[in-house]
Amino acid sequence: MNPMIVEGQVHGGVGQGIGQALLENTSYDENGQLLTASYMDYAMPRADDVPFYTVDHSCVTPCTHNPLGVKGCGEAGAIGSPPAVVNAVIDALHRGGHTHVKHIDMPVSPARVWSAING
Amino acid sequence: MHNFDFVKPATIADAVKALSAEGAQALSGGQTLTPTLKQRLAAPSVLVSLTGIAEMKGVCMGDDGLSIGAATTHATVAKEAAAHYPALAKLAGGIGDPAVRNRGTIGGSIANNDPAACYPAGVLGSGATVVTNRRKIAADDYFQGLFTTALEEGEIVTGVTFPIPQKAAYVKFNQPASRFALTGVFVAKFADGVRVAVTGASNDGVFRWTEAEKALSANFSASAVAGLTVSADGLIGDLHGTPAYRANLIKVLTKRAVEAAH
Ligand SMILES: Cc1cc2nc3c(=O)[nH]c(=O)nc-3n(C[C@H](O)[C@H](O)[C@H](O)COP(=O)(O)OP(=O)(O)OC[C@H]3O[C@@H](n4cnc5c(N)ncnc54)[C@H](O)[C@@H]3O)c2cc1C
Repeated sequence: MNPMIVEGQVHGGVGQGIGQALLENTSYDENGQLLTASYMDYAMPRADDVPFYTVDHSCVTPCTHNPLGVKGCGEAGAIGSPPAVVNAVIDALHRGGHTHVKHIDMPVSPARVWSAING
Repeated sequence: MHNFDFVKPATIADAVKALSAEGAQALSGGQTLTPTLKQRLAAPSVLVSLTGIAEMKGVCMGDDGLSIGAATTHATVAKEAAAHYPALAKLAGGIGDPAVRNRGTIGGSIANNDPAACYPAGVLGSGATVVTNRRKIAADDYFQGLFTTALEEGEIVTGVTFPIPQKAAYVKFNQPASRFALTGVFVAKFADGVRVAVTGASNDGVFRWTEAEKALSANFSASAVAGLTVSADGLIGDLHGTPAYRANLIKVLTKRAVEAAH
């Protein structure tokens, strides 16, 4: 196993999840026409949308279902980051006094946050 | 892409002559036109490049203000206008990405007049003069709605002259995917009053927020705008923001621009 590749997969997975939480959205109009047909409208996460990462291996829990004790790792970041990001937004809103906001659909765009505050 | 001929004249006169051919179209930085050609949404017979014309390039400070040749790239304006008109240089430096800024030009941007483009706000907000091969057009007369300008058939923008305000700033809120202006506001304070131009927000393209101009001319501070309301009527609603959201952005960004103006 190559630890650098594992870390890179985690970076990519976390980035993908942040994109899902904040940016990525496939949208159609009422006639079924795709509105997000190019990257001018479909927002992909880019380098400046993600933080620098420190990958921590200290919590070692081998898999019990195979002799090597190995697990897949690529999706781990993609699964954990959307709830982390969205809950952080909700938490920030509550701390800012907007306690009526219980839920915002992904992607949590500035426009959706504004609507949640004012809705 | 459909087939086309390509010419690269060295003077405005030769460019105008080449553009009189049936189906000819001007090509500047190609950052808007080339994708359009690739999608086969335009089929010019001849592309007349404007980027080999020395008299249409460069940034120059003169008695009427800062003159910028139409074929000057955003990257050059970002660098060379900084000492004379920092707010405009910052606007140019915030357009697209480095590749777009090193090809795209001010003339192409204001000829295209995309409702979410940055330069129309800078040109209208400064009360600049658009210079063509035929005449000079005040910014207030030049921008005429979505992708529509005062340019006539065969007329090209050769440059833009900006009067230098006492203070100015452009604040842009990025559309998350394209990073064009979801809404952008250019504020400029002159000795005889304040101009406020808004891009990205209206179904009629760039416009002046005259109410804010009046309030800011009397009192140039963010609090002067606080009591104003922006109507959502006629504002753009799309998947990135509702008209009401853009109305809110106009006010917020105007305040930020006033605070950032220097
Ligand atoms: C990924 C991407 C991101 C971008 N982001 C932004 C942004 O954030 N803000 C922003 O403002 N813009 C943005 N742009 C647009 C960019 O600024 C373009 O460069 C600009 O809109 C067109 O300028 P151009 O020189 O490339 O013109 P071209 O594509 O060469 O021409 C555009 C049109 O204008 C005509 N034309 C060109 N020059 C003249 C002239 N001198 N006289 C008369 N007609 C002329 C052409 O015939 C054509 O119809 C972006 C573009 C891309 C691809």
